[in-house]
Amino acid sequence: MDGLLVGVDLCDEYTHINCPEEEKLWTIPTVICRNKNADEWYVGEEAYAHTLMGDGIIVDKLLNLALRDGTATLGGVRYGGKELLLLFLERILKLPAREYQKEELGQLVIAVKRLDPKLSRMLRELVMRLGIAKEQVQIISHSEGFIYYTLSQKKEIWNNTVGMFDLSEVGLRYYEMKVQRGMKKVTVVAEYEDLEEGIDLNVLKKPSGGHLADRILTSCAERMMAHKAYSAVFLTGKGFLNQDWAAGLMKYLCSRRKVYIEQGVFARGAACRAQEGAKDNASFTCICDGRLKTTVSMNVLHRGQETNVTVAAAGDCWYDRVSVIDVIPDHQNSVDFIVTSLDSRKKKLISIPLEGFPKRPDRTTRVQIQVVFLDERTMEVTLRDRGFGELFPASNVQIRQEVML
Amino acid sequence: MSLLLCRQEHVKRPYFMELMGVHLYSSQELSYVIFNHPALVLDDFVDERLLTFLREELDKGFLALKLERWLKSGENPDEALMIILQECDYYSMAEVGRFRQMAAALRKKHPADFMRTKADELFSLRQYGRAVEIYRKLLEYPESEQVDAQFMGRVLHNLGSCYARMFQLDKAFEAYENSYRKNQQDVVLEKLYDLSQIDERLVLGEELQDEITEKKQEIWKQRLKKAREKAKESRQVKELEGLFRQDTVKRQAGEAEQIYKWKTEYRNMA
Repeated sequence: MDGLLVGVDLCDEYTHINCPEEEKLWTIPTVICRNKNADEWYVGEEAYAHTLMGDGIIVDKLLNLALRDGTATLGGVRYGGKELLLLFLERILKLPAREYQKEELGQLVIAVKRLDPKLSRMLRELVMRLGIAKEQVQIISHSEGFIYYTLSQKKEIWNNTVGMFDLSEVGLRYYEMKVQRGMKKVTVVAEYEDLEEGIDLNVLKKPSGGHLADRILTSCAERMMAHKAYSAVFLTGKGFLNQDWAAGLMKYLCSRRKVYIEQGVFARGAACRAQEGAKDNASFTCICDGRLKTTVSMNVLHRGQETNVTVAAAGDCWYDRVSVIDVIPDHQNSVDFIVTSLDSRKKKLISIPLEGFPKRPDRTTRVQIQVVFLDERTMEVTLRDRGFGELFPASNVQIRQEVML
Repeated sequence: MSLLLCRQEHVKRPYFMELMGVHLYSSQELSYVIFNHPALVLDDFVDERLLTFLREELDKGFLALKLERWLKSGENPDEALMIILQECDYYSMAEVGRFRQMAAALRKKHPADFMRTKADELFSLRQYGRAVEIYRKLLEYPESEQVDAQFMGRVLHNLGSCYARMFQLDKAFEAYENSYRKNQQDVVLEKLYDLSQIDERLVLGEELQDEITEKKQEIWKQRLKKAREKAKESRQVKELEGLFRQDTVKRQAGEAEQIYKWKTEYRNMA
């Protein structure tokens, strides 16, 4: 791939940008400023500078503004949140292009703190408005960025459980990642927990505040990490730019564990994901925020043989997964799904009866099965009567059912 | 108990099955028609038009090539149908075997009997116009051991039923009359009686009237009365009555729709 590969960590407070195998990390506050007197736009620190000089009006929390379809009036003109975010993205994407003198974009991967369909759709739409093709863009969660970053390190770092604390202005989050080596494919599972013990980063500037924060975080670490074997622990986020206040935490973490302090983990992980290109998890199965934890399949008859057809596999992005399969029931009045859990390998059978479907001779009803996911744990199944051509015309009967996985 | 997985077939130009008056949109429908209506597909069904459909619409180029070679080889052309059934994966091997036996049994029939089976099949599919063509051809058959008076009587009876269903009552009457002359069956005489009651222009000849006893006439009269009452209570009649109770705009729209439906139905059957 010749185009530029870019990983972006897009948050309301900051945006990090990284390119694969490059140390350089751009940290840009997620703000945009418009010149009061001209149609000129500035982003990040430059935006702050112009606001301080008094010749610009600034807008922050761009992601949130765009997501809730908010607006901001700058210089007497009302701008939509999406429009502002688009201007911001357009400008920040020029930074790596300029640095590495590559105008053409190969892959862009954007990591976000919490992945949901609306956010994913909005970001894809905005990026496409920048002239970037759909297949060149991936939207991933921070958890996935963490997985990709960790796996890009030496094996000894991830051969056991890997933990990570992310201390930012908006809170404290703990991530944990495990690599499970299966018979067929390696599965990597990452989970996170938003900890209630959020710390205002301003308190770290005072020794007493730092001391208190250290005690709080040490107790969090003891609670989260007790009785587990870790191969490495990462510390990331603005709160760990300086660790002078965290002597107690460092002492606890560094006993029999490797501890790494790294900024821009999610952007670096997104950059690693960009290297994989448009292919979806070719080398391992990734189970994390935004991806399915179970496999849904069906037993069907194909060329006289009973075959298992996967409707959605563990590791698939649930928010853009749409499966459509046509089947013809043969002496059967239901559609059965097999839900296989990744952790336990337990199988659950879910049967949806074809209630209300017209009575016809056997094998003359084509059933269209459409499966979408409302979240990681909820599958929505729609069964439609497609009839059998002009021989047995379709009715308007359809069954819609939500299934908890 | 199972679910058959359907391959995605994006058919833009469906195959028109002329004898049945239906378009086929998938390999499953094609298999279904072959299996369930062997009499309609045994002769000249596998032709260039079908091969083009298989090749261009169902994306079954390999099957089309196989069939083409089979037909050129001079082997039993009926086997081409088994090849289609096997390749389309809608019927099991056991069912294909059963179809082979059905096809062989049909082939063993006397040509006239085979033709009658075909016409009867069309009758059951409400393709009365096409069935009439075949029944009429059968009437030209010279009498033989197989094509005897009883056989012809049945053909004429079915021909009459075709005409009756197409509302050509005078032709139906004539066919039933001829049928009765061949086999003197009461069931045919009853139909003649019914037609004479339905259409006053159709009058039973003296010879036929003499055959109808008072007792028979009373029974048939009652049956016809019951049939009329049943028809009055049918869903279709109730729907029509409901339509006439609606306001002018809705009624006219409903009438137009109904007439279009009847016309289409009639054109299909005739």
